[in-house]
Amino acid sequence: MKLELYNRIAAIQASRRSFMKGAAALAAGTALSSTFAGRAFAQDSVRAQILQIPGVGKGSPTDADWQKVGELCLAATKANVAEGEFAGVELTFMGLNNQNLHNFLFRGFLKPWEAYTGAKINWIDLAQADYNPRLQQSIATGTVDFDIVEMGAPFEGDTAGKGLLDEMPDWVATQIEADDLVNYLKAPVGTWDGKTYRINIDGDCHTFAYRKDYFGDGSISGMADVPTHWEDFPALATALTGKNDPITGTPAYGFIDPLKYQWGGFGFYFLEDRAAAYAKHPDDPAWLFDPDTMKPRVNNPAWVQAIQDVLDLVKANAYPPDQLNADPNATAFSQFLGGTGAALTWWGDVGSNARTSDTSVVGDVVGFSINPGAKKVYNSKTSAWEEKENFAPNMAYIGWGVYVTSRVSGDEKKRKAAWSAAAHLGGKDISLWTAAYPSGFQPYRNSHFQYDEWVAAGYDRAFVEDYLGSNLDSYNHPNAAIEPRIPGIFQYYSIAEDELVKGINGQYAGAQETADAIAAAWEKITDQIGRDNQIKLYKASLGM
Amino acid sequence: MALTESPSYGAISRRRKDGGRALIAAASVLFLAVGLLQALNSAGILPLGLKDWRPTLYAYLLWAVALGVGMVMARGEAGLKALFILPAALFTVAMAIFPTLFGLSIAFTDWNLASLTGQKFNGFDNLVQLVRDPFYWNAMRNMVIYVLFVLVEYAVAFGLALLLNAEIRARKFWRVVFLIPLMLSPVAVSWMVGKSMLEYRFGPVARFARWLGFNNPSFFTDPWVARLWIEAMDAWVSIPFVMILLLAGLQAMPKEVIEAAKVDGASPWQRFWQVIFPLMLPVSITAIVLRIIFKLKLADIIITVTSGGPGGATDSVSSFIYREYRDRSNVGYGTMLAMFYLVLIVIFITLLLKFLRRHMQRMT
Repeated sequence: MKLELYNRIAAIQASRRSFMKGAAALAAGTALSSTFAGRAFAQDSVRAQILQIPGVGKGSPTDADWQKVGELCLAATKANVAEGEFAGVELTFMGLNNQNLHNFLFRGFLKPWEAYTGAKINWIDLAQADYNPRLQQSIATGTVDFDIVEMGAPFEGDTAGKGLLDEMPDWVATQIEADDLVNYLKAPVGTWDGKTYRINIDGDCHTFAYRKDYFGDGSISGMADVPTHWEDFPALATALTGKNDPITGTPAYGFIDPLKYQWGGFGFYFLEDRAAAYAKHPDDPAWLFDPDTMKPRVNNPAWVQAIQDVLDLVKANAYPPDQLNADPNATAFSQFLGGTGAALTWWGDVGSNARTSDTSVVGDVVGFSINPGAKKVYNSKTSAWEEKENFAPNMAYIGWGVYVTSRVSGDEKKRKAAWSAAAHLGGKDISLWTAAYPSGFQPYRNSHFQYDEWVAAGYDRAFVEDYLGSNLDSYNHPNAAIEPRIPGIFQYYSIAEDELVKGINGQYAGAQETADAIAAAWEKITDQIGRDNQIKLYKASLGM
Repeated sequence: MALTESPSYGAISRRRKDGGRALIAAASVLFLAVGLLQALNSAGILPLGLKDWRPTLYAYLLWAVALGVGMVMARGEAGLKALFILPAALFTVAMAIFPTLFGLSIAFTDWNLASLTGQKFNGFDNLVQLVRDPFYWNAMRNMVIYVLFVLVEYAVAFGLALLLNAEIRARKFWRVVFLIPLMLSPVAVSWMVGKSMLEYRFGPVARFARWLGFNNPSFFTDPWVARLWIEAMDAWVSIPFVMILLLAGLQAMPKEVIEAAKVDGASPWQRFWQVIFPLMLPVSITAIVLRIIFKLKLADIIITVTSGGPGGATDSVSSFIYREYRDRSNVGYGTMLAMFYLVLIVIFITLLLKFLRRHMQRMT
């Protein structure tokens, strides 16, 4: 769970407990009995035990807590590794140090593992901003100096595609209970040419958050329900013209796109949210490039429609006046949470922040669902629109994983040690703890959505169902739009952001010209990186 | 006594001279041989299993030591004297000249870090692309505008310097206060001012503007308004630097000249325009040239606040290169952009200094 989110929940639960102090005896008795029931359940399993470390609302976990959790979750390691088996082995682990999480947790989790196995781990901590250049430079200059790496799935093309990763042994898949992963994290994600390289420790996707108070009888939009198709959002913007937000009294707006898309590539996901519904055909895993030629699809009618939708809204002055300089962060955390905008798309945490952030004014009126769909979908194989409803949640970024590099491939003892350490971090039980407490990671296994476990740990059922439900529906959607894990994928996104912004600011004649500019830039990148290889890797990433 | 007795200061034997020369020659041959082998290994012509360029680095260090020792052996006291400058010279070669040449070699390659094939020499393709890249020239146009604003910054800084040079109450306090923006990180200023105070919804400046009657006080939507605010933030951070240089110049100015002007009946404006300003020209030019050099590197505020937007309206060359290089790992083209910009800066500053020198000579 994200740190900020956890702190907010803890704060809310604390105030809720204070409120309960004054409740009637019956309520207190009921609460007491359910607590006892919860505790009895908790003692039944390691999962329940670790969820009590340190306990929801009892402050942020410390290194001692991480070590305790690591110790309690060692059973799976012990089943595969003898005590002291890795004595003398030294491994180097490269990962992030964001918010003092990531590597900080891994150190604590792995300390008992080091004590049991006898291996020693050296750490390379990197800030998020330094991570990508460091990884790219290591790869490009042939100076990979780490045995285990925490890495996002989009970089699998840069690493697995270049033979820099070690294939996951079968015993690891068994140890981490890989079958428990949500659908979209299963193959082909984490695999190349049929070989598995990734141990998942995170999940990511975009979901749709909207204002429930903007819809229904007597609402300012006058619409019965929130639109569920992109085609209907201009009508929402029109309906809200001249109206004021019921909470803040400031002008009301419809769906808010972050029109300053430039965000190091991450901003392109927001156009993808719109485009996926039009472009991701259920019978075709590809939606960004033609898998046989790497010809960009970003200028096909589906993508042009998505860009046109945004341009139409800009032309109709449907966005807040400062939207041209609103990046995704500002759109979500300043605007939407501050009461500007009827809806937006974002990762899993904005919805929960809406309920828990001190600066949010929309906590009681926010609802969630999977991303909107479209009433038509473009079939790239027939080059024709099909008039049928289509939903395609955008699995933006896919999430973090732990990988073992090919540096250890020649040394079986070291290799087993590296995979054992990685498997410990990606274990089923330990992952429940990282999903529930500040870790920097989101839920990513089906078992993370057993709400009873969360309730037993002390969480509010309504909250966790709200928070997790839209994620679960997106993760397991049969037409989820998966990002291509090809080399340089963020270069494609980054240049697309630049061109998109130019189009929105009127430097191109329209949506088609903007899309053509993106396509031309993408073609250039493909040629630069190597078209044949990109085709091969793109197909591999799609499992084709 | 020890020095005079030292053989280094006496006649140098032929044997010792030859030994020194031989040492330098041997180290040079070794250095060149290692470099050559490394290059052949790197090109894949002679696979030696060398994974990085450390052997060449070690050979360079060895050569540097041998050069120093050999110089002393071969040239005695002259060699010893050379040792005072040699480490600095070798350091400059290693840390400035070599990286520049290396950068130049990268600028003529097609090198995307994500490419499997690595660097590929592509001649003048990057230069042609640069010439045809409208958004690079858009950034260049913006730089011209930003640089012209240096004159405004200079005028404000001069005014402040005059104020702080005058006999005002709490002068020391004001001097410290006016210096504070210089001590702040531009990134911090970007967040405090650009992202918070100028925020459209809750920013105090936006609220104040609404109170004044502006309906939509959006500071980064219109291209010119956005440019002006970027310039304003950069000016706020940098004016104290110009001001402190000018203040130092004012304090060094002989008081008698001003007194003489006063005695001659010059008005305050005449004293400023005909006495102080001309006398301050050398300091002013130094301040302006330094400020222009800093201005040409403007990037941090733009990257943080607008990412060059809206639609490239605030882009500087550096922020443009940043996106090309960092976000897109396009090392070859990014380096060409930087090298071309370096050449332009050198030419511009050289011409500017020449022009100013001539102008100054005419005045004197």
